Amino acid sequence: MRSMQPSWVTDARVAVVAGKGGVGSTTVAAALALVAAQQGADVLFISIDGRTGVGPLLGGPPLTDETVVLNRVKGGGTVRGRTIPASGAFADYLELKKVPRLVRRAASAASLDVIAAATPGLEHLLVLGKIKELERTRAADLIVVDAPPAGHAAPFLRSPAALLEVVTDGAVREQAEEVSAMLGDAERCQAVLVTLAEETPVNEVIELAVDLQDELLMSLGPVVVNACWPDRPGMSVQPRTAAKNQGVKLPNAVAAALAGSVAFGRARLEQQREQIERVTSSVRAPLIELPRLTTTQLGPAELAILAERLRAAPV
Amino acid sequence: MSAGDVTGPAEQLDGAAALRQMLDDAHLLVTCGPGGVGKTTCAAALGLAAARSGRTVVVVTVDPARRLADALGIDASASEPSEVEGATDGADNSEGSLWALMLDAEATFDQLVRNEAPDAERAEAILRNPVYRTITGALAGAQEYMAIERLHQLHASGRFDLVIIDTPPSRHALDLLEAPQRLSGFLGHPVYRALTVPGRTFARVANAASSAFLWTVRKLAGPRIVEDTLEFFRSISSMEEGLRRRADEVSSLLRAERTRFVVVTSPRAEAISESSFLLDGLRDGSFPVGGVVVNMVHPRPETIEALTGDLDPEVLGPGPFSDQLAHHRDLTALADAERAELAPFMADAAPAAVNELPLLDEDVHDLDGLRLLADLLVGP
Repeated sequence: MRSMQPSWVTDARVAVVAGKGGVGSTTVAAALALVAAQQGADVLFISIDGRTGVGPLLGGPPLTDETVVLNRVKGGGTVRGRTIPASGAFADYLELKKVPRLVRRAASAASLDVIAAATPGLEHLLVLGKIKELERTRAADLIVVDAPPAGHAAPFLRSPAALLEVVTDGAVREQAEEVSAMLGDAERCQAVLVTLAEETPVNEVIELAVDLQDELLMSLGPVVVNACWPDRPGMSVQPRTAAKNQGVKLPNAVAAALAGSVAFGRARLEQQREQIERVTSSVRAPLIELPRLTTTQLGPAELAILAERLRAAPV
Repeated sequence: MSAGDVTGPAEQLDGAAALRQMLDDAHLLVTCGPGGVGKTTCAAALGLAAARSGRTVVVVTVDPARRLADALGIDASASEPSEVEGATDGADNSEGSLWALMLDAEATFDQLVRNEAPDAERAEAILRNPVYRTITGALAGAQEYMAIERLHQLHASGRFDLVIIDTPPSRHALDLLEAPQRLSGFLGHPVYRALTVPGRTFARVANAASSAFLWTVRKLAGPRIVEDTLEFFRSISSMEEGLRRRADEVSSLLRAERTRFVVVTSPRAEAISESSFLLDGLRDGSFPVGGVVVNMVHPRPETIEALTGDLDPEVLGPGPFSDQLAHHRDLTALADAERAELAPFMADAAPAAVNELPLLDEDVHDLDGLRLLADLLVGP
């Protein structure tokens, strides 16, 4: 490993990135992995709900359940990536626990869904258990976990605590205790929450932050507010006044065109400020704004822009 | 900026006319699509539009945003629909009414057990079982299944002309449609079958798969959960036939003549690709698609002709006017990119009508906002 600049990105060995569906948490997770690699870290990107497309976004092939190198950053570290499907985690776990092969085959082929149903949260726990193993064996300097969307992120992260209530003994309890210990240790694990500056995603991120900090005793990294309009101070004045200020005589047609877009932009900016204020006042964590990109297609070039903003954000 | 800037009048009329027709004819409407696209808001706006044209409509939502829930007067703890006050004020046809209900998956599952268990005693035994208590929240697709189950109950009640169900956001939205079959599949599972063989002890459960299952669960999670699991499977077997029949009824209801699916999406590339996938799945499964709503499309500002040096923020240097030009340029670029992204999707969605809804100056969270959306969807 090369010398690293001190940064919140690598404050913990595992960064769990989570947010409501549609807020771009997978993109933010990818940008985070890139920043860490740029700073010299060897990064392992893990996708939980099988979003394979993040592989190409990071410059490699689509993700599979085998670890592959996605990006060797010039003068920096490497980003590797993989998925952890629940079924694989279960089979691996049975092997680790030395369950006989015949039983293993019958169990994993016929009854994973039934076991999962009978022991709620078990799939989640097994996936987290696998991440814990990777962390414990120092499989990478930083493990970035792209968590399932928020409706599922809370049950995902809560699964060890929930299982500890139901399961009184056996290997599952042991596993749940070990995973809980990792989640609650600020040096080993932090959560990076992602939201948009809109009412519903902000409600969810506030709830999730309280859950994680107060109930699961997790350490929170910055809350990332994605897709923010640039807060341009000049938006607050009338177009004619603005033009006059910069010595431009405004043709009527241009004034009319600007009037519509500026009024729209001003209204959206106002709501954005209001929602960012809600995050700031309700969540005990620093906040990073990422810009709204003027494209619908996200590729490595756009990811680099977001990574740069993440890196440069004062935290 | 008015919504008229967003789409040409001809295009909008087509989509609006098709949606209006659908709202007049349909008995059941299922809104589905990726998360974060404003599905609940669209479901409520469609319900409002139908109510204002004279129909008695109930909208069943899952986890609505708080302010929207307040605007609709939804009480999360209520198990029956409540009427939305003021919904038909000033409407052409005041005979209609709008009702709203928030889906409580667990309560719906409990009700299903009470209805289908052979007697009250056995129903209570199931409801008390710790495995049942956790299964309702954790069984894959349980929430989706309950959304459909509630739709069936409300439809069968005969109280409403139109039942609209807003499905839980799901990356794999097709889970919803497979939910009834999945429940049947669960009941037909070899492990489940073996577990429900009459008998008291593990020793009498001879099937290899199930003993492996029990052995594994006991080793992993301890004996208590094994006992609870066995007890659960035995008690639920008494209602198996009822559950199966219900799953079949729901499955045919989803393909009934007056059932329509509305796919709600946004112009983000990821949302569009998920929605294309969903549309294909609906067609493959012979589910009737009534329309597509693309929500939150950025309004395209009027073009500023010929960016001369006077109108180029790079040339002008920093200042308020440069800020405004830069904003105008960004908004135009984004709006154009979204339209380019949407074009192949719209072609692909045909013959289903596609309606665009603009990203408004303000997010919708009250009845006035919903009325505006309703007008944009079906015309005033």
